[in-house]
Amino acid sequence: MSCTEPLRLSAAPKAGVRGPHERRFNPYDHNGGTVLAVAGTNFAIVAGDTRMSSGFNILSRNQSKLLQLTATTVLATGGFRGDVSTLQKLLKAKLVEYEHKHGEPMKVHAIAQMLANTLYGRRFFPYYTWNILSGMDENGVGCVYSYDPVGNYERVRVNVTGSGEPLIQPLLDNQFERQHQQLASKPPPLSVGQDLAEATAIVKDAFYSAGERDIYTGDTMEVCVITKDGVKLESFELNVD
Amino acid sequence: MSSIMQYNGAAIIAMAGKDCIAIASDKRYGIRNQTMGCQMKKIFQVGDKTFVGLTGLATDMQTLDQKFRFRSNMYRLREEREMSTEAFANMVTSLLYEHRFGPYFCEPIVAGLGGEDGKSPFLCGMDLLGAQVRTEDFMVGGDCTEALYGLCESMYRPDLGPDELFEVIAQCLLSGVDRDCLAGWGCVVHVLTPEGVTTRDLKGRMD
Amino acid sequence: MASALDYTLPVGAHGTGAADRLAPQLLDAAPMLPDPSERCPGVEKHVRMLHGTTTLAFKYQGGVVVAVDSRASAGAYIASQTVKKVIEINPFLLGTMAGGAADCSYWERYLGMRCRMFELDQKKRISVAAASKILSNITHSYKGYGLSMGTMICGWDESGPQIYYVDSDGDRLHHHLFSVGSGSTFAYGVLDTGYRYDLTKDEALALAQRSIFAATYRDAYSGGTVRVYHIDQKGWQRMSETDSMELYFKFRQEKA
Repeated sequence: MSCTEPLRLSAAPKAGVRGPHERRFNPYDHNGGTVLAVAGTNFAIVAGDTRMSSGFNILSRNQSKLLQLTATTVLATGGFRGDVSTLQKLLKAKLVEYEHKHGEPMKVHAIAQMLANTLYGRRFFPYYTWNILSGMDENGVGCVYSYDPVGNYERVRVNVTGSGEPLIQPLLDNQFERQHQQLASKPPPLSVGQDLAEATAIVKDAFYSAGERDIYTGDTMEVCVITKDGVKLESFELNVD
Repeated sequence: MSSIMQYNGAAIIAMAGKDCIAIASDKRYGIRNQTMGCQMKKIFQVGDKTFVGLTGLATDMQTLDQKFRFRSNMYRLREEREMSTEAFANMVTSLLYEHRFGPYFCEPIVAGLGGEDGKSPFLCGMDLLGAQVRTEDFMVGGDCTEALYGLCESMYRPDLGPDELFEVIAQCLLSGVDRDCLAGWGCVVHVLTPEGVTTRDLKGRMD
Repeated sequence: MASALDYTLPVGAHGTGAADRLAPQLLDAAPMLPDPSERCPGVEKHVRMLHGTTTLAFKYQGGVVVAVDSRASAGAYIASQTVKKVIEINPFLLGTMAGGAADCSYWERYLGMRCRMFELDQKKRISVAAASKILSNITHSYKGYGLSMGTMICGWDESGPQIYYVDSDGDRLHHHLFSVGSGSTFAYGVLDTGYRYDLTKDEALALAQRSIFAATYRDAYSGGTVRVYHIDQKGWQRMSETDSMELYFKFRQEKA
C-alpha cells in the first residue's frame, strides 16, 4: 500500500481540506445519579443515591443529592454537579431573602413556582439539572413536584429522575398507580395509597434494582422522610461495584 | 428516534421459571409514530419446545421467521427429531452472522425447555449480528429495554411456577410498555411447560 | 466575543467562514443566542417536549370547544402521562400547549400576568386578538432563539368566541378550527368529518373527545387522558377528563 499521506496520530483535519473549524469549551458534564420522591397521604419520601461519576469514573461515593430547603421541604437534584451546587446556593439565598421580607418561610407551592422561574431564567444556557421538589402542602398531604431542566413542572404522586429514571419509573407506576392490577384499589387523587413503611420498602427495592443495571447509581442511598414534624434522614447501603 | 431498530417498535420479555418458561410481546405494528395495527405476531414457535421472539425491523422479522421455520423443518426431516433449543439458538447465531456486512435488523430472543430431562429452561438473547447472551433468569428486548430491565430486576424471583411466572411477566410487560411510545396496544403471553403451551392475550393500554 | 465560553452558533452567525457561502437572507435571520441543545449536548433528550401531542379547538354555534391529550415524551420514553396541556390563563382565556412544555407554560403564565395588567389599566377584559398578539409579539421577538411552541389562544370577548393559533415561528392565525401536534392529522380526520357549525353542545363535546381519542390511538406520541373544555359567554368550564383506555373500550363496545 502506497502511503500518500503522512502518518497522523490525532484526528487533525486532512491537509488541503478546509472546512469550518472551531475550538470549544464544553461547559457541561453529566455526573449521573438518581433521585426519587413519593407523596403519601400524610408524609413524603425523598431519596437519592450518593454516587457522583464522570464518564466511566466514580468521582465520589458520598456526595448527597438532597438539600433541605425549609422545615418541611426537600429538593433532590441530579445532573451536572456544578449547576446543582449553583442552583442550590441560589435557591437558599432566595429563601432567606423571602423569609426576611415576608416574616415566614416560603410555602412549598411557592417554592415550586419559584424554582420553575429560576430554571426558565436560564432557558438559553440551562442548568443541567434534574429536580424533584417535595414537601407537605397546606392540607398536610405530601406533595411532589417534578421538573425538566428548563422549568416545566407538574405536581405528581411519584417521580424519579436522573440516570435511573427509565429503570425505576415504570416500577413505581406499577406499584403506586396500579393501573394493571385490576383488583387493587386506586390511589387517592394527590398521593399514593400506601403507608410510610410500605412506601419506603418499595423505594428501597427500586434503588436496589436500579443499582443492578445502572452504573451511575450506587454506593449509598439517602432516604428523607418528611412529615408535618419535619425531616428525618436515613442511609442504606447499595452496591459499591 | 430515527434508528431503524425503532422504525416499527416492539417489546419482548422472556423469563425462566421452575420447569417452565414464559415469553411475552406487545402487539403493536407501527410505522414511526403511526400505529398501523395491533394484532402483530412477534413471537414465533419453532418446534415443540422452542420460541423465538423478534424485535427490530418488521420486514426482517418476517423474513427471519420464514428462514427459521425452513431450517428447523429441514432439520426435522433429515434427523427425524426436534431441534433442541440450544441448537436452534446456535443456528440463529450463524444465520445472522452470515449477514455480517448487511445484517437483518432484528434482535432475537430464544426461549425454550431443554437439557437431559427436557425441562430445564433455556434463555438466550442476541444482537443483530448473532452474539449470544445466555441468562438464567430473564431476557428483554425491544426499544424500551431499560424500563423492562428495571421491572424484571425487581419483580423476578427464581423458581416460579407457570401461573406465578405468567403474573410476573404480564405485570412487567404491561407496565414497561406504558412508558414506551412505540410499544403496547395489547400484549400476548406464552407459557411453556413440559405439558404444553398456554397462550393468553392481555388487555393493555391502547395509546 | 472570542472568550473560552464561546459556544457554537447557528451556522452562518459568525466567524466560521461558512457565512460567506450562505444566502444573505439567512445571515440576517438568526440572532446570536442559539438553541440550548447547541450548548448542552443531549439536553433535548431530557427537556420535556410535547412534540408528540394532540390538541384541538373549534368554534361552533354554542361557543368554543378545546380538547387535548396529556402525554409528554422524551424520545420514545414517556416522561409523563398526566400533563395539563390546557393552560387556564384567566376565567375567559385558555391556551393550549404543544412543543416545549416549559416554553408554553412559562410564556402563557406570563401572558396571564400581562392580561391582568391590561384589565387593571383599561378597566375591561382584554380581547382574544390582543392577548394572542402579546404572545405572538414575544415569540416573534425570540424568533431563531430556539423556542418551541404551538399554541391556540381561545376565549370569549366582546365580539364573541375566538381562536388564534400562535407559534414560535411568529405565526398568528385566526380561524374557526385548529388542531396542533403530531397527532393533529388523525384528529383532523375525525373532526372534519363530524364538524358542523350548528352542532349542539353535547355533540360538539363528544366530537372533540372522539377526535383526540382517535389521535391517542393512532399516534404513538399522543396518549394519556383526554381533557375537554368548553367556553361560552360566561367563561370556560372543564367538561371532562377521561382516560383514553376507558374511551377505547367504550367506543369498541359501541361499535360491536
